Amino acid sequence: MLLPVFAVLAVLYAFPLYWLLATSLKGRSELFQATLSLYPEAPTLQPYVDVLVDRGFLVLLRNSIVVCAATVILALTVGLLITYPITRLEVSPRVRTGVLNWALSLRFLPPIAVVVPYFAVVRTVGLYDQPLALILIYSLFNLPFTIWMLKGFLTEIPREIEEAAFSDGASRWTAFRLILLPLAMPGLLAAGVIVFSFSWSEFLFALILTSTPNAQTFPVGVQGLVTQFEIIWNDMAAAGAIALVLPLVLMVLARRYVIAGLTFGVVREK
Amino acid sequence: MLVPVLGTIFLIVTYPFVLAIIQSLQATNGGAFVGLQNYVIGLENPLLYEALAATGIYAALVMPTEILLGLGLALLVHRTVKSPALRAVFFAMAIVPLVIPPIAVGVIARLIYAPGYGALNHILMLTGVIHDEINWLGQPITAMPAVASVDVWQWTPFVYLVLFSGFLTVPHEEIEAAQVDGASGWSQFWHIELIYLRPLLVLIIFFRLADVLRVFDHVFILTGGGPGNTTQLLSLYLYRVEFKFSDTGQAAALAVVVLVAVSVLYSLVTRVLPLERR
Amino acid sequence: MTTWTKTLALAMLGLVVIASCQAAAPGGGNKPAQLTIAAVQGNEDAALKAVAPLYEQKTGIKIQVVEFPYDQLYEKLVTTFKANAATYDLVMMDDPWMPKFGTDESLQPLDSSYGFKRDSDIPDVVYDVGTWPPPRGAVPPAAKGKPQHLIGITIVGNVEMFMYRSDMGPAPKTWDEVKANADKNKKSNFYGYVIRGKATNPIVADFLPILWSFGGDVFDQNWNVTIDNAASLRAVKFLVQDLKAAAPTGSESIDAADRDRLMATGQAYQTTVWPGEITDVIENAQVSQVKGKVSYIPMPAGPSGKGIGMMGNWLLGIPKASPNGQAAADFITWLTSSETQKTYVDKGGIPARKSILNDATLNQKNPYFAALAKSLDAVPNWRPRTDQWNAVETILGTNLNAALAGTVTPEAAVTKAADQIKTQMKNAGY
Repeated sequence: MLLPVFAVLAVLYAFPLYWLLATSLKGRSELFQATLSLYPEAPTLQPYVDVLVDRGFLVLLRNSIVVCAATVILALTVGLLITYPITRLEVSPRVRTGVLNWALSLRFLPPIAVVVPYFAVVRTVGLYDQPLALILIYSLFNLPFTIWMLKGFLTEIPREIEEAAFSDGASRWTAFRLILLPLAMPGLLAAGVIVFSFSWSEFLFALILTSTPNAQTFPVGVQGLVTQFEIIWNDMAAAGAIALVLPLVLMVLARRYVIAGLTFGVVREK
Repeated sequence: MLVPVLGTIFLIVTYPFVLAIIQSLQATNGGAFVGLQNYVIGLENPLLYEALAATGIYAALVMPTEILLGLGLALLVHRTVKSPALRAVFFAMAIVPLVIPPIAVGVIARLIYAPGYGALNHILMLTGVIHDEINWLGQPITAMPAVASVDVWQWTPFVYLVLFSGFLTVPHEEIEAAQVDGASGWSQFWHIELIYLRPLLVLIIFFRLADVLRVFDHVFILTGGGPGNTTQLLSLYLYRVEFKFSDTGQAAALAVVVLVAVSVLYSLVTRVLPLERR
Repeated sequence: MTTWTKTLALAMLGLVVIASCQAAAPGGGNKPAQLTIAAVQGNEDAALKAVAPLYEQKTGIKIQVVEFPYDQLYEKLVTTFKANAATYDLVMMDDPWMPKFGTDESLQPLDSSYGFKRDSDIPDVVYDVGTWPPPRGAVPPAAKGKPQHLIGITIVGNVEMFMYRSDMGPAPKTWDEVKANADKNKKSNFYGYVIRGKATNPIVADFLPILWSFGGDVFDQNWNVTIDNAASLRAVKFLVQDLKAAAPTGSESIDAADRDRLMATGQAYQTTVWPGEITDVIENAQVSQVKGKVSYIPMPAGPSGKGIGMMGNWLLGIPKASPNGQAAADFITWLTSSETQKTYVDKGGIPARKSILNDATLNQKNPYFAALAKSLDAVPNWRPRTDQWNAVETILGTNLNAALAGTVTPEAAVTKAADQIKTQMKNAGY
């Protein structure tokens, strides 16, 4: 009984992806045929060349990588600064839950409601059209995830290990650097990969806070393929395919840790 | 150490919110203080309630589907697939929809549902399931499910990933003890695993709810909110008040209302179903 | 503090003051190295991008064109103007946006500051659409009595027109003939008429010429809502009942890209059209199977005996905050000159100059030029000159779309639209 259900789900899952790839390999004239063809009749890589070279999205792709990588570093640093005290120090459970809940509520800020005020702030401090503005804001919006994931990983590392170091005369910083950090590395890696992927497709802030290819990211360029009178179907599909490669590779490489990170530590709490 | 960091973040986060509150109390043109007038105008507009209703229907379609489907798949894979390689393949498959830019997902969805050249009608007609085109995006009864299906496609994998991770953390001893007692697979799921997954489910509901409130791209591309305003979700409506109606005062007022409403809902739910076990 | 540090501090302060004065000096006398233009992505800015390098060769000033999709360009300009940011020296604007930017005084006056004058080779209506407050028609209450200024110069002379398969039948003179031809020519997999019916902006752009040709309108001269009067209702019924009968399934979600595909693949007889769609798709041999089989004409006439086209000009303006106003103005002058326009048209640009539109050689290559010249001569309508137009369009476009989908009657749709528009206008002080 399960098998047919599974087969249907597999088709529903796979078809849009197949259609993305098939469309990305079609030339423009093929998209204007009266009868639809379910596969590219004359496969071409031209859409990929169009997107990366002719439209100059390679620069945007580079901006995206820079912004997302820096976001990961900043979000993890700040995340650690918050989660270290609430997991390793004597903090009342009220404060701890309060911080965690507040972190989650951050995610409910509707971006459309705050984008204009942020725009004003970013302009005032002179970060408009600078990648740094995106880095700061992405770090902020990814903090909830980061905090919850790091909390999960840090809680799992027994306090006794650190305490042993303290009794050997290590300072808190040394113990953190030499003992806790290596143990938490897999968790940081997982959180980093997830933050990277989530920042990767952000669009609204990237649009409003940038003005030129100096800081514009890949999704901003991709959006431009929907023009007032036309959608550049094949280029759009190619851009979609290009966009998914990097986060997918990172995720697969860090798979074991990502899976552990996605439980946010809530399951093991007792 | 905690205080300065949290303090800074608190400031950064709160500042735009305070600005939004100030803006919501000012006239859109000229900025004179108008009290609660923006709130009154905003809350009196019937379009707001149509948008809320549409968002409610959308959430009612996507959230249960995504959660049940994600849970079912996670359970199925956890129980039947033991090969690490195969599990890795499922993992990679689940990541893919999550990392495609939303606008590209919307465009592909349009290529599938569009009148005339949509792949779905084409395939259904080729296989003889239907003889006339189905107007997926033009009738209220199919437009909303069509729009919702895109969300389900993109986000069920997320639910699957989180819950699959959850299953892995259920202690073996408890499962084995239950099996010794002769518990069926079903009661093992119901009485042990689900208890462990419960906080994750709450977390998922919140993350998904937050996302439903910001859904934009694929709806805009597929229907533009139509037919009529059947698929004009809250996010589309807020966008229109801000950028189409250019009514920044009203937009700010609505944003404040939404934020407060969600916060209240959030604190109520976490009180009933605490995320942290103590 | 020692004298030395005091002097240094004063010097620094002085430098800052001088620097900021220079930045704020209106007109900005010295020649910038680069001008940045915010433009709309697609057919409309393709020719601009193509000729920009010529300007650099001539003057040494580099032209940087930053492109945004249609909706995002508007959002971008609104936020940029709101912050008075000197990000762009020039901006490209759709003509329905002009009332918003005019009301907000976001742009520099081109006539008084830079000496722009009307050129008799360019139709008056093209200048009128870039003038604020509007020289004719209803004027918003807030703009009444303000001095008139030219704040935008058209660089894309868009007017909405009509296209039909001239290999299959004669040109329709009236909307009744459009309907008759639609019914006569439709068969299975070939549609008599295509409605661009997607909710909000698309359906309104498709509908307004019909509305006007039927003698209806959204507002009268005093901003009273007239979308629910008898003439307007008749136009709505014509669209959502008469034309729909010959239109493909799914009209409610069809946008320009879809209707062009139907025309280009030879699956449709006739529809409305913007020049950009003609050059991009219908006359593009690479994708079109109907090149040479389609003719372009001004909007057919309604019961009033007149056919009224709709303007959709794209204009260039200089933001208040631009420090390079004079250089930007020089660029506009260069771009719109007769000489540059010839190259511009060669690169697919859509001109507004009569001498170019009526040039016989250019007409051969651009089969829509004659229809565009006639449409401009007949003085097309513009969308109501109110900063509330985006809101009105959204309201109207939502209700029309519901009527087209058949979820409400045409009567209910116009009543609801009228009520919502009235509330919107009242809240905005009309």
